[in-house]
Amino acid sequence: MSEVAREVPGLPVPKSGARKRFAFLLSLTLLGLLLLLWVILAISTDSFATTGNFVNLMRQASLWTIIAIGQTFVIITAGIDLSVGAVVGLASTVVAMLLVAHVPIALACLITLAMGVAIGMFHGFAIVQMRLPPFITTLATLTALRGIGLLMTGGQTIAGFPRSFGAFSRGAVLGIPNLFWMVILVAIPAGLLLHQTRWGRHIYAAGSNPEAARLSGINVGRTIYLAYIISATLAAFAGILTASRIGIGVATTGDGWELQSIASSVIGGTSLFGAVGTVIGPVLGAILLTTINNGANLLNVNPFWQRVITGGLIIVIVYFDQRRRRRS
Amino acid sequence: MELRGVDKRFTGTYALKAVSLAFEEGEIHALVGENGAGKSTMIKILTGAYERTGGEIRWRGDEVALATPHDAIALGINAVHQEVVLCRHLDVAANMFLGDERSGGGFLQKRRMRREAQRVLDDLGFHIDAGAMLGELTIGQQQLVATARAAMRGTRFLILDEPTGYLTRQETDQLFRLVRRLNADGVTIVYISHRMEEIFELSHRVSVLRDGVLIATHVTAETDERALIRDMVARSIEEVHYKEEVSQGETLLRVTDFSGPGFNDISLDVRKGEVVGLYGLVGAGRSEFVQCLFGRTRATGGTVEFKGKSVDIRRERQAIDLGIALVPESRRDQGLCLNLGVGFNLNAPIFDRLSRGPMMDAGAERRAAGGQIRDMRIVTASQGALAATLSGGNQQKIVIGKWLSHGADLFIFDEPTVGVDVGTKVEIYKLIAKLLHNGAGVILISSYLPEVRDLADRLHVFRAGRLVASYRPREVEQETILREAIGV
Repeated sequence: MSEVAREVPGLPVPKSGARKRFAFLLSLTLLGLLLLLWVILAISTDSFATTGNFVNLMRQASLWTIIAIGQTFVIITAGIDLSVGAVVGLASTVVAMLLVAHVPIALACLITLAMGVAIGMFHGFAIVQMRLPPFITTLATLTALRGIGLLMTGGQTIAGFPRSFGAFSRGAVLGIPNLFWMVILVAIPAGLLLHQTRWGRHIYAAGSNPEAARLSGINVGRTIYLAYIISATLAAFAGILTASRIGIGVATTGDGWELQSIASSVIGGTSLFGAVGTVIGPVLGAILLTTINNGANLLNVNPFWQRVITGGLIIVIVYFDQRRRRRS
Repeated sequence: MELRGVDKRFTGTYALKAVSLAFEEGEIHALVGENGAGKSTMIKILTGAYERTGGEIRWRGDEVALATPHDAIALGINAVHQEVVLCRHLDVAANMFLGDERSGGGFLQKRRMRREAQRVLDDLGFHIDAGAMLGELTIGQQQLVATARAAMRGTRFLILDEPTGYLTRQETDQLFRLVRRLNADGVTIVYISHRMEEIFELSHRVSVLRDGVLIATHVTAETDERALIRDMVARSIEEVHYKEEVSQGETLLRVTDFSGPGFNDISLDVRKGEVVGLYGLVGAGRSEFVQCLFGRTRATGGTVEFKGKSVDIRRERQAIDLGIALVPESRRDQGLCLNLGVGFNLNAPIFDRLSRGPMMDAGAERRAAGGQIRDMRIVTASQGALAATLSGGNQQKIVIGKWLSHGADLFIFDEPTVGVDVGTKVEIYKLIAKLLHNGAGVILISSYLPEVRDLADRLHVFRAGRLVASYRPREVEQETILREAIGV
């Protein structure tokens, strides 16, 4: 898959002369833009380039990164998972209720992850067996899962976790926040799975042309199940981490995160038409989005303006990224 | 229309180089050449889709810019492409009036358009209902609609790009009648086809392109097929007898009273070393039959024996593991992952062999794909080049090559040479001969009668989902086979 390797943002594409320099700049779009933003923020604010803020930024980015990676698997199959935000909310509620009921932490996490697997399997069933469009399927579960979370809690906040559960998300190892270690724990196996295994190949094939994939003997149905299970399970994992981070279970947590995850993935070079995308892409995309939010806070930008700016930036970034791709 | 020294460059390489060619008013001018010879580029320049990078174009003596499709349409230049570019979800009449709708007081006059469209279709002798959804017609009928549409709009210069690739003989005849009639009305026709007999049947003059250069223009009546092919490929094609006699071995496949979606009660055998041809009109159930055999759809009755064992194939993977390979009808829709690499496509059936446990072995992948690219002589910039960037012939080689990588005992080819240049066609025929020599059996579906007739040892004719006749094809006249397929 040299093709995929070549699409990793940040890797220069060899060209000649002045053209080479231009192509190099364009190929740096994402990583370059990210570093540029960091430099600008470091200069223009006192508080950006501090350890405290950086650790905070990494923590914030972690949750979006994890769901964006899952989302990317689904988008590469030419699908979409609108339910990830709702799964985050439900998972944070479920894990909270289990912990409050004195279920051991490990077991509570496992049960919550299993719920994620089950939700992913349901998506697979609806899309493969019932032949529903992914957009509709996950739009329906987005609505329904939020409702289930609210029903379970009656809209109340759930508090009273064991101290060690909350301590995890505040802790750090080797100066890197635990939450960011979780990103590494997810991204490396995800990268191996997508880029180095035959199941990863099947995901690309199913997203490019399911009919051709089928006639080549690839089990497209199973591949689609796999992608949605990964997405929902990672969303459930993000839900657990969110509960640990904010110290309470709230059914409405993760509201709108599905859009953040899609945006991160697309900024990271994933094509909504399928078969194009990497794991490193959504990681950079999510960090970039978090940086924009973080920077805007530090610069005291009106939070309403932040939304407008984020929207505009998504269009600009994706436009330049596509131009770069067409060039190479 | 006259081209003088027309060039088209793409980042350093010439797609067309100093082409000077005059189309005389009212002639039928055939254009031939291998895939990638520059025919498509020429059409795109003539229709304003591409802007030329050099040279001039004269229309009735005056130089014209021809920089946009709008310029071309204004001059009365129209093209009908091999892949129909119309709206499948609109009815035939709406398509025929697309962009030129009849309306009164701001409202569409649907009934009037339907009436007028129907009159045109009837007039041309096409049995097509103007109220039918375009997507419900066969590809052949859609092609006829596209041509009729071009004929309606005061076209003075009509380009037909491989119009007969998906047409049955009957539809081809209807198309030819239309072309001759337009021509008699003074329309200049540029006719592009890989099928030699059509060129000799229809055209007044014929031009040959090779590697972007105009090689020669002949008066059709003064040249012959061999001379044209020589011009096209620049290497003299030895009288290839594609088919050597291979001694046929034991029965490989035996299908008895096999039924499924689109076909009923099919019984036939394939032996090792044998080509079994399936001929019929488009929609006669041939593709449906092989797709079902391959596990793509579920059979509703009958039995299948493969290599002496009774089998019930429910999934494509099962067919592949048994040793059956299918080269599907449409390489774009069924054969290729167009936005993935050449190497990826070639290796698709053998990912499990190229991996250790779940992990892919990148070296093995490169070697496997590289070997196949070399053996099949696939012209590609790299293994990672997207399949979409290759010419039709090279794409078809990928679709065939992936099954050679995998290996099989029974090869099913569904229209393997549609839209493929002469050189590749010969390579495909040779390849089939080699497969037979190695003891494989072949099922060949083709709508091109000379092809199945030449290659097949036995020929079965399908009509309306049933197997209606079987022949030793070289012992019967083409007309007999055709009549059986049409059912007259």
